[in-house]
Amino acid sequence: MNIAWKEIKKNKVRFLILGSIVFLVSLLTFIISGLANGLSQDNAALIKDLPSGQFFMNEDADETYNLSRIDSSIQDKILNNQKDAVALSIQMGFLNDETGKQRSVAFVTSTDSKLFNHVKDGEIVLDRSLEDEGIKIGDTLTNNQYSGNFVVKGFVDQKKYSHAPVAYISMEDYREIYRVEEMQLVFVPGEDSSLEIAGLQSFTKIDFLNTIPSYSAEQMSLNMIVWFLVIISGMLFAIFFYMMNVQKMGLYGILKAIGVKTSTLFKMMWTQMVFITVIALALSVTFSQVFNMIAPKGMPFSLTPETTIQLSVVFLIIGFIGATLSGVQIRKVEPLQAIQQGEV
Amino acid sequence: MALFTIDEVRKTFTNGEVKEEILKGINLSLREGEITALVGASGSGKSTLLTIAAGLQPASDGQVIFEGENMAAMGSEQVRKIRASKFGFVFQFAHLVPFLTVEEQLMLMLDVSESKLKKHEQKKEVDKILRLVGMGHRKNAYPSSLSGGEKQRVAIARAIIHKPKVLFADEPTASLDSKRSKDVMSLIRDLTKTLNITTLMVTHDEEMLGFADHIIKMSDGQVLQGVGIIVEN
Repeated sequence: MNIAWKEIKKNKVRFLILGSIVFLVSLLTFIISGLANGLSQDNAALIKDLPSGQFFMNEDADETYNLSRIDSSIQDKILNNQKDAVALSIQMGFLNDETGKQRSVAFVTSTDSKLFNHVKDGEIVLDRSLEDEGIKIGDTLTNNQYSGNFVVKGFVDQKKYSHAPVAYISMEDYREIYRVEEMQLVFVPGEDSSLEIAGLQSFTKIDFLNTIPSYSAEQMSLNMIVWFLVIISGMLFAIFFYMMNVQKMGLYGILKAIGVKTSTLFKMMWTQMVFITVIALALSVTFSQVFNMIAPKGMPFSLTPETTIQLSVVFLIIGFIGATLSGVQIRKVEPLQAIQQGEV
Repeated sequence: MALFTIDEVRKTFTNGEVKEEILKGINLSLREGEITALVGASGSGKSTLLTIAAGLQPASDGQVIFEGENMAAMGSEQVRKIRASKFGFVFQFAHLVPFLTVEEQLMLMLDVSESKLKKHEQKKEVDKILRLVGMGHRKNAYPSSLSGGEKQRVAIARAIIHKPKVLFADEPTASLDSKRSKDVMSLIRDLTKTLNITTLMVTHDEEMLGFADHIIKMSDGQVLQGVGIIVEN
């Protein structure tokens, strides 16, 4: 007999309250996780969307890519020896549109590669967010450090860096704006991360993202909130089941006295935990995905099914641990004590 | 041969440095189809004896022989299995599961005792026992809607649904009024005789002694009137 289900059916309100709390906490966790992901995309989609690989910057740059200058002979050697390797530079800057309105962008230039948009001198390819702001193909844009005009040749989706839209320009134009000959970084795609090059420091993609100061600070805070919420929900389970178990100590004692196994009582509690959590998570996943679809365009929000599934599994595990910890009381309960305590 | 034998059972509780002997070498035999009542003043050790016999707490010394095996030497899982399949319990309070209907209380007990009956046979058995205790009409009721007497009747039905060999009843009428107490005791007596159950009962109520086949008086952890003497009723 499924006594777990019978108890839920008879005590709907009690379980509805727990379910609602789990639903709200998990929904909040999903939303904050979506914001963390969205901000992460907004901050570094340019890097995050690259395949796995190694970044190299100058050892003297002190892990600050802005200060990195890769010697052209070393760069040529890497590009010749490593398949699909690409040298790139990123610098924050401004573009003025035809009305004189200034926009902050991240100028990106690279050697020939499938991973980055290649543009001719005097041309520019922009992140689509600028199209949403009214810039059109064929528009001419200017920069204070650049003698000519940039003609907008196209737009790309989801290419952001340091919360600014990316602007792909040619290497020649980049050199003119920033007065540098060397590139800042070399990226070597591939799963193997053992490549070492004398004079250059190697970074995995995640390590490189963490060298972006705003990225690590932002992600750390948001991830901390997400994990706190996960821990809080685990504690909620522990506290709720603890309180329920305290109320049911007499009942457990009597059930043990008539021969019910302790494991059966644990199974009863786990069944209830899984039932409540799965329903609450199904609802919060649905709500968060709906929010994902209807979130305002400007809001950096990105909640992938993978993240949702991962968090849901974590919630189930945490709920299980919380409920099990509170269930230690069930093991301790003595049938005799329950009988002597009176009516349950 | 007796179904149940208690042999030189002792129980000592230690409170700090003070040792208190609650049972001082009890010998007792219970026979099938008979009700044995344990009587005595509070603190005489009768409830302790009943709970030791029922496998709810261990004896400090001595043997509890059930069907030829010493329960005192068994592991807790083995004792639990005996409690689940061969013992029935009726306590001072009904102790029903609040979220199960009357029928479900009995179905649960059949589950716990690992009954070999099929589902429909279990339901038939439940109906039969509920009719036997006069509760057939309340099988879909929850405990909260039952009177004290009705609850105790359901508790008795739960205690015998799996056809136990021994029924332990600890003050089964203490929470009931005089009329209901007599009804419940009549029921226990009828079931003991009909189903050939061995019943060991603790009671304070002298009126209830009329329902017992044997009365064993206890005082200060010992059986009065000699070792294991049974007072024929």
